[in-house]
Amino acid sequence: MNTIIALTVLGVAILFLGILKKNSWLLPTILAGIPIVLILTITGWDTNRHYFNDMLIVDNYAVTFNSVMIFSTFLIFMFAGKYYHLVQRSLDDIYAIVIFALVGCVLMTSYGNLIMLFLGIETLSIALYILAGSHKESITSNEATLKYFLLGSFLSGFLLFGIALIYGASGTFNLDGINSYVINHASHLPPIFKAGLFLMIIGLAFKIAIVPFHFWAPDVYEGTPTLVSAFMVTVVKTASIIALFRLFSTSFSAVKELWEPTLAILAVLTILVGNFTGLYQTNLKRMLAYSSISHSGYMMLAVIAFSHSSANTLLFYAFAYSVATILAFGVLILVREAKGNDLFTSFRGLAKRNPVEAFSLSVAMLSLTGIPPLAGFFAKYYLFFTVMDKGYLWLMIIAIVGSAVSAVYYFKPVISMYLEEGQEFDLKAGVAYRMSLLFLAILTVLTGVLPFFLINLI
Amino acid sequence: MNILIWLIPLFPLLGFLILGLGFKRIPKAIASFIGTGTIGISFIFSIILFINSTHQITSSPVHQLTSSPVHHLFTWFSIGNLTIPFSFLIDPLSILMLLIVTGVGFIIHVYSVGYMGHDEGFNRFFANMNLFVFFMLLLVMGANYPVMFIGWEGVGLCSYLLIGFWFRNHEFNAAAIKAFIMNRIGDLGFLLGMFLLFTTFKSLNFNEIFSLAKGMTPGNGTMVAITLLLFVGAIGKSAQIPLYTWLPDAMAGPTPVSALIHAATMVTAGVYMIARSHILYLLAPATMNVITAVSLFTALFAATIAIYQNDIKKILAYSTISQLGYMFLGLSMGAFTGAMFHLTTHAFFKALLFLAAGSLIHALNGEQDIRKMGGLKSKLTKTWWTFLIGTVAISGIPPFSGFFSKDEILLSVFRNSITLWTIATIGALLTAFYMFRLLFLTFYGKYRGQADRESSIHESPKVMIIPLITLAVLSALGGIINLPGLFGGSTMLEQYLAPVFAGAEQFIRPPNYSVQPLTEWLLIAVIVVYIGAMVLIAYSRWMKNKLVPDAKVIEKSFFTRLCVNKFYVDEAYDAVIVKPVLWFSRILDEIVDTGIIDRVVTGTGRVTVWTGNTVRYLQTGHVGFYLFVMIGAIIAILVYNLLIL
Repeated sequence: MNTIIALTVLGVAILFLGILKKNSWLLPTILAGIPIVLILTITGWDTNRHYFNDMLIVDNYAVTFNSVMIFSTFLIFMFAGKYYHLVQRSLDDIYAIVIFALVGCVLMTSYGNLIMLFLGIETLSIALYILAGSHKESITSNEATLKYFLLGSFLSGFLLFGIALIYGASGTFNLDGINSYVINHASHLPPIFKAGLFLMIIGLAFKIAIVPFHFWAPDVYEGTPTLVSAFMVTVVKTASIIALFRLFSTSFSAVKELWEPTLAILAVLTILVGNFTGLYQTNLKRMLAYSSISHSGYMMLAVIAFSHSSANTLLFYAFAYSVATILAFGVLILVREAKGNDLFTSFRGLAKRNPVEAFSLSVAMLSLTGIPPLAGFFAKYYLFFTVMDKGYLWLMIIAIVGSAVSAVYYFKPVISMYLEEGQEFDLKAGVAYRMSLLFLAILTVLTGVLPFFLINLI
Repeated sequence: MNILIWLIPLFPLLGFLILGLGFKRIPKAIASFIGTGTIGISFIFSIILFINSTHQITSSPVHQLTSSPVHHLFTWFSIGNLTIPFSFLIDPLSILMLLIVTGVGFIIHVYSVGYMGHDEGFNRFFANMNLFVFFMLLLVMGANYPVMFIGWEGVGLCSYLLIGFWFRNHEFNAAAIKAFIMNRIGDLGFLLGMFLLFTTFKSLNFNEIFSLAKGMTPGNGTMVAITLLLFVGAIGKSAQIPLYTWLPDAMAGPTPVSALIHAATMVTAGVYMIARSHILYLLAPATMNVITAVSLFTALFAATIAIYQNDIKKILAYSTISQLGYMFLGLSMGAFTGAMFHLTTHAFFKALLFLAAGSLIHALNGEQDIRKMGGLKSKLTKTWWTFLIGTVAISGIPPFSGFFSKDEILLSVFRNSITLWTIATIGALLTAFYMFRLLFLTFYGKYRGQADRESSIHESPKVMIIPLITLAVLSALGGIINLPGLFGGSTMLEQYLAPVFAGAEQFIRPPNYSVQPLTEWLLIAVIVVYIGAMVLIAYSRWMKNKLVPDAKVIEKSFFTRLCVNKFYVDEAYDAVIVKPVLWFSRILDEIVDTGIIDRVVTGTGRVTVWTGNTVRYLQTGHVGFYLFVMIGAIIAILVYNLLIL
């Protein structure tokens, strides 16, 4: 609750600064404000408060995942100054909308009621429709927002219809209430409830970009301004997965056999299609879009192999994935600015003049591939371990195959940077930006070397 | 106290990070300050630890440490029923090693400021040296085998980096790789030993393993296997037969590296490891016999080779191998304190000898061949004095430190077997012989190098001489730390280490002979007289008759030829192991890899790429198509779940 209030205040404050034309204050205010929000969030640890008749639940799951998302947003804002430095107009609207989108994400992790879930998703989605089109002059940005809006509003209908059907069957929106309904009627659930359940899966699968509801994702991620894409593939992705996880672990765990095959097939499809399509991409941004799709497939596995340790696994995975992806986007922003595009050929010979950037991007790629001792390795290790522990050997084998395939495209930029000859150029990143990149790279290494500080958190 | 313990390894690591990341940008003055300062701070902290521990021991009546010696930092990892804490064991044994590593390390770092002063890789050198000290500290401080193993691997890596420090020379790189590979063979033994330890004891922590082991019956087969495997690790790291050939080649590195890594600290890691695991070894008498045989043979064998070498650093390297043999011999007799004592004094005098040799090489602009030296006594007076003290100390002439430590080991051998004692004593005599040969050939007689170079020979700067003098004092007086009762001493080191080896006495085999003080005096007299004779023989050969080893001498006899060529061990390894392995790997490369595996892999790759190529066409960019597919999927999901199931 503190988190939501503080974030909203921060967003409103940004808008006010925009009215007062204090443009140079915007970013410092955000970079100072988010850590305060983070601290406020962490104070909710072990309090386990319920607000408004269980509408919102601030338990340790919510606290840790919110912290990861807020921290990721902070990391993204570290790159904002550089990304927007050529833009003349005031950016208060864009920054404020990102903050409001984050409020939506927070709602999605802390809901105790389906209405709040829907509210969170819509708060997030509407903010994202605007952000995707925030580069008004660009055709791709306009295309992205239109596609996202068309498909998103269509699929939101499915989600809402699913919620309505579940309400119709159980008579409650409350997660615990639905859970007790499911336990009482486990053997003879009415078709209306089942239909509602699957419609909700479909609605959420769209938001997470699960195959075959992922088609919007590569187009939208590519067209959206890069910084917003970074937000979408990390924070938004985490929030959607956690929303799914909370829903299924609280309300539907008693009828696991009902939804498990569907989720398993969707996860397998996501891992395979995401990774195989990633192989053929020629630019980094689109490749990262497919990478984000395949990683949502991996995170789905944690939902399927639901157990107490899943939450920890998911937390670690979300953290490792977010940090590495933001790091990759950080370098991507630089290359796009220097070269005008982000084709893999633009990365040739990058390492010679820009060792810090090349190193950082390599760390990010290796971590996403899952090479020890980086964070991504332990993320995958714990995930696969959890999956196998629950007896889903076949899922684990497919996940490992997918992971092996992904190495091919993750290594592409690394090979370009270090092994291929190219025209020498300087990215002109600036010391502060370089330090941010290095910080993320070191964070990735440290999380991998000392995973135990994070893995037993919840 | 706890925080102090963590700071000891932290400072060298910090030094490495600062110098390693700052690389060439940090000026030499600051780099040398950081490089030596971090080790100096660790040394001061180690001294504080030491003082604190002596206080604890004297204040407790039963020679037991009052506070728990294990300091836990965090759980490193935990998988299944295997939990590895990252913790340090601080007891007298590790404190002794800490003092040697940081103390001698500090002296050598100071010396390096002068020795490496003109090298362009100055900062890289100190970064690597600091990293080495960090890993060496982990090795000696670890409270379980895995942490020890990190250090064990880490020092191997640093040794590799520093042997190949002048990486533009391909021979040096080859030497570095040779050292690394030979160490890896040993490491494999260490690893297997660890695995077997874990399956036996379900733990890898020293305390738990050793307390469980005390309840086992001696001669247990598993215990023999474990100790043998760990000993393989020690053979690799401490250059014993058959894995010793890397050490002479390792002399390719800068001389301070030879002093620190390949004489004083890293190569003694094997000795430390066995002393640390002494209970396991006492429970495996068969392994102890193997160690006796290997170490005795190594001691004698290396000493024989040393007599015929002409490279000053290689002579010292073979001497190190031989002295390490004595340490293992002491361990195998159950004289753990004796081995640690010899380890300590050896760290002093061998570091001294290497550094003095370095000063010599420095003065002669890189010349290492003793045939081209001679007559340097008058020009390099200080170096000569310190080298002389080192020679006297290593030869075992009383009252210098080497005499006491070697005597203690020989005495422990004598208690068990007079035959073994005789062989060990012959080795000790050879030591005196080759060391005095070295001394006479380098410092006495006439200068035999190029005449034009003679005028440019100069004494080294103070920053190198002061470390030499410090080490010379330690080599001369180091025997005091464990002066036996025979000489009116109080065996301080033995008292100090007693809590570590307490509880192991029951497993040590009873001596075959009890030695009376009179016998002891007699043995010492015999050895001293013979050493004197050796010095005289060396004197008459190399001083009086002014013999200089050259090509003609080599032709003399079969045995001499064998010795000069180091018994052709390198050639034999090359023919028996290296060549067949290379041949086999070429077969694997050409037939198995290119012929079979490559085709399968390329095939898989082609299928993968083809799949990717096909799947990507689904991403058309048309919203209508996307909706069409999604609706199809929605219908499929609903139909499958609601109607079919």
